[in-house]
Amino acid sequence: MERVKLGGLKQSLELCQFDLKGPDSPEKIVPRVCKLLASQKINIAFLTLSQMNDEFHQLTMCPHQYDFTRTSGLLNTKGTLPRGWGIQSRKHVGILTVFPHRSPIRILGLVMVAWAAQSIPLHGIATSLSAISFITDYRSIDRGIEIIQNSFQLPDDHAPIKPELVYYQSDEVKKDKGN
Amino acid sequence: METIAVYWESRIKTYGFQRMPGLALIELSCPVGTIKSLGEILTHDDMQALRAPFIAAQESDRELSFIFCLPEREGKGFHASLEQTRIPTSHRYVYPVGIIFFHGPHFGDRYGIADAAFSAISKAGIQLIASGCASSSVYLILAQDDLDRAEEALTKAFEVAA
Repeated sequence: MERVKLGGLKQSLELCQFDLKGPDSPEKIVPRVCKLLASQKINIAFLTLSQMNDEFHQLTMCPHQYDFTRTSGLLNTKGTLPRGWGIQSRKHVGILTVFPHRSPIRILGLVMVAWAAQSIPLHGIATSLSAISFITDYRSIDRGIEIIQNSFQLPDDHAPIKPELVYYQSDEVKKDKGN
Repeated sequence: METIAVYWESRIKTYGFQRMPGLALIELSCPVGTIKSLGEILTHDDMQALRAPFIAAQESDRELSFIFCLPEREGKGFHASLEQTRIPTSHRYVYPVGIIFFHGPHFGDRYGIADAAFSAISKAGIQLIASGCASSSVYLILAQDDLDRAEEALTKAFEVAA
């Protein structure tokens, strides 16, 4: 059977995941948490917010793995979250982003089926105009890539899947290396 | 090799805001053990014509909760066909909602983007229904009537690159 075409596939650096869950006031919690992390120059590579099961709201965030301890410390500081809000975390996750040519719902379904069949965990999804991002355990990411490569047809001249460039944002230039 | 580039912006630059009104938001969940079955449903031929501008899923307590944003007519049909399968549990159908989304240079690599977006929305007193930020994109799902005010608030917080 002809394999479904994909425009591309990209892997993130190693990330961690925090799920903040609570009964109400996400309009207050989300800006507060994002401001707190921004004040410590912690980048959020992935974020989703939604209401779940009509009962509670969940904010899922993935900062870089090297920011796990700092982020955990900030979020667990008394007073950061109101009463009723709890935190769960995963120390080592990664994001695999696929770029569908067309039929994004079909491709989403095919990845869900292929990963579930091989017990690749799925901790979150977010789509955009041209991409579908899947969160999985970092230790499963190579296997997740392999399954997608075997299930879909990627362009022959596909760019490297693993990140080759790492970007750091700083508000100061290193004196020994810059002007 | 390390390359240092110096770049400064008084307001975070974006490539512009895009809006999608008239959408339905469908919220459903399924146990982690049934993801494969839900995936199979999504690969059915009758699902292929669906245009879903935004989909997100979150895991909690061994369940995956999904939201699908679809044009109203497609949303009704999608909701009805999923209810027939009895695999996911349907929780909410919200209509009308709107999406405002934007992209920017290296949004996924820089701190402060989510802060700027959510602070602007919060200060304007707008309630977020859902959101998803991945790669270089920020998606905000709001009540349709809030789209104008949201764009106004975001335009103050971000600079649209010429």
